[in-house]
Amino acid sequence: MPQNILTVSELKKHFGGVRALDGVSFSLTRGETHALVGENGAGKSTLIKTLSGAFPFDSGDIVLDDAPYRPDSPHEAKARGLQVVHQEFNLLNHLSVAENISIEAMPRTRFGILDRAEMNRRARAALDAIGLGDIDVRATVQSLGIAHRQLVEIARALQSDSSILILDEPTATLTERETKRLFDIVADIKSRGVTVVFVTHHLNEVFAICDRVTIFRNGKTIATEVIAETTPAAVVRHMVGRELATERNTYQNRDISGKCALSTHNLKVASNPHPEGLDIAVHYGEIVGIAGLVGAGRTEFLRGIFAADPIVSGHLARNGTPMVFRSPRDAISAGIAFVTEDRKEEGLILDMPISANVSLANMASVSGHGLMRFGLERQRAEDHRAKLQIKCGSVSDAASSMSGGNQQKVVLAKWLARTPEVLILDEPTRGVDVGAKAEIYGILRKLAQEGAGLLIVSSELPELMTLCDRILVMANHRIVGSVSRDDFTEEHILKLAYGQNGTEEGTIA
Amino acid sequence: MTTETRMLSAPSRRAVSVRAIINNAGIGLALLALILFFSLASEFFLTANNITNILTQITINLILAVGMTFVILIGGIDLSVGSVMAFAAVVAGKAITLPGLGVVELIALACVAGLLTGLISGLLNGVISAYWGLPSFIITLGMLNIARGAALHVSDAQTIYSFPFAFEEFGSALIYGVPVVFLVALLITLLAWFVLNWTVFGRLLYGIGNNEEAVRLAGHHVFWLKVAAFTICGFTAGIAAIIYMARLSISSPIAGIGFELNAIAAVIIGGTSLAGGRGSVIGTLLGAFIIGVLANGLILIGLNDFMRQMITGVVIIVAVILDHYRAKYSAT
Repeated sequence: MPQNILTVSELKKHFGGVRALDGVSFSLTRGETHALVGENGAGKSTLIKTLSGAFPFDSGDIVLDDAPYRPDSPHEAKARGLQVVHQEFNLLNHLSVAENISIEAMPRTRFGILDRAEMNRRARAALDAIGLGDIDVRATVQSLGIAHRQLVEIARALQSDSSILILDEPTATLTERETKRLFDIVADIKSRGVTVVFVTHHLNEVFAICDRVTIFRNGKTIATEVIAETTPAAVVRHMVGRELATERNTYQNRDISGKCALSTHNLKVASNPHPEGLDIAVHYGEIVGIAGLVGAGRTEFLRGIFAADPIVSGHLARNGTPMVFRSPRDAISAGIAFVTEDRKEEGLILDMPISANVSLANMASVSGHGLMRFGLERQRAEDHRAKLQIKCGSVSDAASSMSGGNQQKVVLAKWLARTPEVLILDEPTRGVDVGAKAEIYGILRKLAQEGAGLLIVSSELPELMTLCDRILVMANHRIVGSVSRDDFTEEHILKLAYGQNGTEEGTIA
Repeated sequence: MTTETRMLSAPSRRAVSVRAIINNAGIGLALLALILFFSLASEFFLTANNITNILTQITINLILAVGMTFVILIGGIDLSVGSVMAFAAVVAGKAITLPGLGVVELIALACVAGLLTGLISGLLNGVISAYWGLPSFIITLGMLNIARGAALHVSDAQTIYSFPFAFEEFGSALIYGVPVVFLVALLITLLAWFVLNWTVFGRLLYGIGNNEEAVRLAGHHVFWLKVAAFTICGFTAGIAAIIYMARLSISSPIAGIGFELNAIAAVIIGGTSLAGGRGSVIGTLLGAFIIGVLANGLILIGLNDFMRQMITGVVIIVAVILDHYRAKYSAT
């Protein structure tokens, strides 16, 4: 007999003039796994923050366990049995795993002193319970990989007896193997009668573990569907409100017999243990992907090319001419652009206007003799906004006001403003919704068609397989294989990635 | 489509600009309220003489605070400006009392010596903290001691006086009751406003305060930009030193103790975020006025200096609390 543990009806929340939630209604059945999906900016995060008491709602009703629910603080939400694992990490990096897990209720001895042994024992039990026997509870969180941190956070959330556990994009930083592990954990929690809310961008995950799915669009809930009775295509249709352009799988053959745009020879970064470094080549008009396990050294390699971090040894050539980059500035002058992994930390100046972000890498084009020409800057930003279909109120709005997909487009616009000959991208669509993703793919393809050479690191194999002409597979700081388009299969690439990596450290990402 | 975008953008743009106006207007209104209050509470407050007094008293702090704004905007702090000012004043004082030179040469020499001393101190602050990526709080705390010690050493702990008459004249000159030195400070403020708002350099300083790594990866010389901000701050300490000498007709090695805190207070009251990236030099101007008007008015209505100090402290804390809400509001 299904019984609703939580019922939300007509929930509304405004920020200034923005309607973040504009009529959200859905319910959770006790013990179910319920997915919330929707494009970035559709209102999922706002809803979760409202449910967790991070901020109040304007109107509407929430009923939790047959009693009205209007939490004033995260503390109250927890007291009522609602626990959230947020997208951003809330761990204390300098403390140990055990300390983090017990942070809400530190065990004490009879004398009121911290009972370290008990704390470690509890943490051990918590980690073992979700199959994380390989993590040392005394290690600092800092020393863990990002994927393990996510799992530790989940372990911590499971410490308190909650009846509803909300996971906000828990797989965004996980590799496939860890995702599977997470699914097992979720199944286990579910069997204990806990209701799990699962927020994600990945529909295959929704269809793998969820019972029902509620779709958000523009701050409203569009529909709730039973997974067994729907299809991914139907869900996507609800999400975007239109049929998704089919361009995702229309790969066009391009002429990639062009000259070598960028090549490295024995290029070694500090974290690379092999003295021989890495050799790669990217031709004009070509899209080269790099697949590999988390920790395979992909990001570090890209940062080395761009001189974002110093290289230890080896050479780099543009158009066959050896170059030495001492700073990103040199790399940029040589026609290279770099879209970093983390747009909030490294890509955007969030509090500044969109127009200022677009011109950041090319100030000379919007200034004269060191003086800003604001009209010109605005015009350039408007051009890019139209070209990349950036959705924003005004280009003078802060970059932080946009959804993830549109922020990523602004990062792209920043680099396209320089018309780069070589574009390096690290996780170009992380945290980007389906609609914007397809648009970004279109932009990248067009760039390659216009002759630019692209080098893309991505943790989503389908992404690389859609975009690339060639995929290099990296494992433990080595390139262990190069797969050309005709041989693209997930299985083949995964095999290569695992082939030389016997450790349990990572999975294909 | 076009109309739709326009409908979307119009209110949000208005919201942003209204908010910007409220931010600065809030400080302006607070200043007006203070002025209104003191002019009702004391018949002397709005007299020509007293206004001249206030403007004179604000001058040094305003100049230091304008330089400080550059450093705070990039997320730094400069605790050394008070000592650097004293050091620059002593060096300039030595120069201006050299025997056997004409008045013009002496004044020119003193200005160059004082300004250079400030500039080099600021340059050192910037280079050391930016090169090693060390907190400027610590580096400039060191410079605070170095400059104070240097000032005492160079001057043998003696006050230097008997400057050329023309120089002292400049310090006390009035144009329609407005001190010339204040006009100099105002000019510096406007110049700084222009640099911060209309130049690529200013834009990048705001950028560094918000997200240094993004600015670096966009190919900008973050190191030199930071050094420039500190150098500007040191340079304004040099300017403050010259004006201090002209106004008081002495160079004292123990001048400017605690001035750095007043300058920081003016910047913070003016709404510039200590975390960097947000604020304006116009706010700093208003902040310096609030501190100056408070200092003057509270004495006029009969409070003693100790109580004045307490109230100034309260104002700083209130300003930061208001700023907290402002940041929270603009974040959503």
